[in-house]
Amino acid sequence: MSRIVVVTSGKGGVGKTTTSAAFATGLALRGYKTAVIDFDVGLRNLDLIMGCERRVVYDFVNVINGEASLKQALIRDKRTENLHVLPASQTRDKDALTKEGVGKVINDLREDHFDFVVCDSPAGIERGAHMAMYFADDAIVVTNPEVSSVRDSDRILGLLQSKTQKAEQGDSVREHLLITRYSPSRVEAGEMLGMEDILEILAVPLIGVIPESQSVLQASNSGSPVILDKASDAGQAYDDFVRRFLGETVPHRFLDVEKKGFFKRLFG
Amino acid sequence: MSADSVEIKGEMTMLSVLQLASPDMVQVRQGLRSKRDSLPTLFAGSPLVVDCQALGEECQKLDMQQLRTVITDLGFIPVGIRHLPDVCIEQATQAGWAILRGGRVPPAARIEKPATRGANASGKSIEVIDRPVRSGQQIYFPDGDIVVLQHTSAGSEILAGGSVHVYGSLRGRVLAGIQGDTSARIFCQKLEAELVAIAGNYRLLDDISTDLKGRPAMVWLEGEKLKIAPMF
Repeated sequence: MSRIVVVTSGKGGVGKTTTSAAFATGLALRGYKTAVIDFDVGLRNLDLIMGCERRVVYDFVNVINGEASLKQALIRDKRTENLHVLPASQTRDKDALTKEGVGKVINDLREDHFDFVVCDSPAGIERGAHMAMYFADDAIVVTNPEVSSVRDSDRILGLLQSKTQKAEQGDSVREHLLITRYSPSRVEAGEMLGMEDILEILAVPLIGVIPESQSVLQASNSGSPVILDKASDAGQAYDDFVRRFLGETVPHRFLDVEKKGFFKRLFG
Repeated sequence: MSADSVEIKGEMTMLSVLQLASPDMVQVRQGLRSKRDSLPTLFAGSPLVVDCQALGEECQKLDMQQLRTVITDLGFIPVGIRHLPDVCIEQATQAGWAILRGGRVPPAARIEKPATRGANASGKSIEVIDRPVRSGQQIYFPDGDIVVLQHTSAGSEILAGGSVHVYGSLRGRVLAGIQGDTSARIFCQKLEAELVAIAGNYRLLDDISTDLKGRPAMVWLEGEKLKIAPMF
């Protein structure tokens, strides 16, 4: 039985695609057959983050329109076994996504025995975002510690309760909150919303906190999901998040300002 | 047998009444549009009765045809017109208006209307919401009280015919007594609302005194003044 997971946020630039790439990679690393779909038709990015932009022949919209088979369009990841990428189309817009078309692709992936299908949602609450969440069983709501991002996530949570297939059937999408770009020192200085404040506003179970980290940008630019960077704190935090998603109990890390040791204090 | 295929019954139905205060169609259009835009889900395709009592002699300046167009353009369905002086009736019928008998119009504001508890078809007089009310969501329940067991978010809206109870933080807008029930009240566990209103009397909580913020509070109407006080 496949699980369909949407990675969404409402606001742009909070780390949906970075999260989708890391999450899908993390699932695949643990042996699950995983597909990650870019729903940002017209502003395709996932292929860059996944480092497969030069291998895109057919895309999601081609499959929906019947111009290519799903098999032709799915790109097998070179680094990680079990991982497949379905890129978005750069030359079309989000109106190309139809409920029937998306439904058929998701169904085909189910029949192909994918364990997880990760849907990377575009920003906004329009068609692209709606289609990305419509078939979801689980939702990862990505939020930055900042008021506008939190409010947009709140709006998305409302839509998840009304505009999804699960909601229409009287069921509900499982919601998980992922806080990204968290900087404990700025929280301490009062420049950033703290984790407790965000949880108080959104009231959704927290699945992970990803610290603000240089390694995220480096990973994006080199086309390698940050979760593969085992030395970085963001990579480790993403790994914790994947383990929690799969049901393990993992304590949250990177929430407090790092106490500088004696030598660090001496030598900076 | 064909007589059995239809039946005509006299029945009372609730209808929205548009009370005209000006014969100027530009103003009417603007006013009606802003009303509609404030509650699009409620007003979409809703039937409307036009009441001309406030206009008096100015009714003669009304363009009946244009009035109809304005109303249909904005997505309402014109049902009929009432309180029209006799001189205007012919023009109105020619424009396709049904002439209605004047109904009992409650005087503007201050209506001591008995709450219509349990009067709706399902007999339900309380709507219980057990999930957070999110930004952008609207809970509309004109038939009675709304009880929210969780918090409401900034940018959410609760509209109740009766009172509103929120057993969590109240951060959005709350409008109680939307059909004129001045005895409606708002109760909440933590007052952080953007706006509270009872029977159309509203107050922005932008400037709320700091000792009330974040505390359990009650909002009620005294005369035409909205009162807010801590509960414990």
